Amino acid sequence: RKYTEQHEWIDVQGKIGTVGVTDYAQGALGDVVFAQLPEPDSELNQMDDCGALESVKAASELYSPVSGTVVEKNKDVEETPALINQSPYEQGWLFKIQLSKPEELDALLDEAGYENHLKNTGH
Amino acid sequence: MKISVISQNFHRSVNVWSVGFLKYQTAYHIQQYLANLQSQRLNKEKTLDGTIIIVEHSPVYTTGIRTQGYSESEERRLKTLGAEFYRTNRGGLITFHGPGQLVVYPILDLKSFNKSMKCYICKLEKTVIEVCKSFGVEAERSLDTGVWVKDNKICAIGVHGSRYITTHGIALNINNDLSWFSHIVPCGIPDKGVTTLSQELRKPLTITDVIYPFLQSFSHEFECDMKMLSHEVRKDVVNHLKKENLTSDITEAQLLRNNDLKLK
Repeated sequence: RKYTEQHEWIDVQGKIGTVGVTDYAQGALGDVVFAQLPEPDSELNQMDDCGALESVKAASELYSPVSGTVVEKNKDVEETPALINQSPYEQGWLFKIQLSKPEELDALLDEAGYENHLKNTGH
Repeated sequence: MKISVISQNFHRSVNVWSVGFLKYQTAYHIQQYLANLQSQRLNKEKTLDGTIIIVEHSPVYTTGIRTQGYSESEERRLKTLGAEFYRTNRGGLITFHGPGQLVVYPILDLKSFNKSMKCYICKLEKTVIEVCKSFGVEAERSLDTGVWVKDNKICAIGVHGSRYITTHGIALNINNDLSWFSHIVPCGIPDKGVTTLSQELRKPLTITDVIYPFLQSFSHEFECDMKMLSHEVRKDVVNHLKKENLTSDITEAQLLRNNDLKLK
């Protein structure tokens, strides 16, 4: 799994990456009541804002960790946004994207890097 | 000339701009401009840790990102009442803004404060509760975001966060006409009501009475000093609005004034 500084994670199998938000993010947001996810077939560039998660009347933007084409969004999460809080790395995945530039993964943080980032930025 | 509005020597400072009466859309463009400026993080001297915009709107209904529940016919119905209608990118459901309601948009860099959205919202709620208390009104939080006096909402909250920069904010009812709320289910909560500070105190209060106490509470809760937003930045905003043809409802002179701040 790789991570962004904006607290998204991506897990790549072959050319398809599954994207979600980290446990830290779901805690910082509070109970998620609505997930605005990118539509399948939409083209994204790395770090494009591609949706939002709403909690406590706050809409927080989502960013795509990589460039590519969205192939699926998690309909279960649209129906039950609380899955993001309950299971941010498993059932709470947000969307799947076909990577157009796999080399972009190199710029992302690994687990240790992300943990460091949380520590260094006083989270 | 920079005048210190509230100076408690906190290690954080925010700018304050009390614009006065402004159409919703114009205020939104000002928010976007200042949010962009804040996010560039280039000139901390200009932007400090954020800017608080204080406004009063002409009648307008707004929705948040959960906007599908409000159809086009619903939008038309509300417009025929004489209000504007906007679908926005904030959290929260439908609400109303109008004359006599204190609307505050903190454009903050949450990197300078606590980075959690949950914490930001909580501090906003506490700020408003403190303001109400200073006027003798017992207000509280509840499971529904916002500030309540028993079963009546006195202040609505709805914000947006992008890379830790916040937009939108709060709307505290001072002496606004509550009948506008009867045409909607405010914030999607059907069996609760709305109230104003004037109604709770059974005496007329105006926005001007509340602005400074609000800033004091905000300063205390967010542990930040307040400074008047510089003339230079306000001029930049005005020039930006002019360039984009967005100043139809407001004069340049009004935008450059920084109103109603009692200096201590």
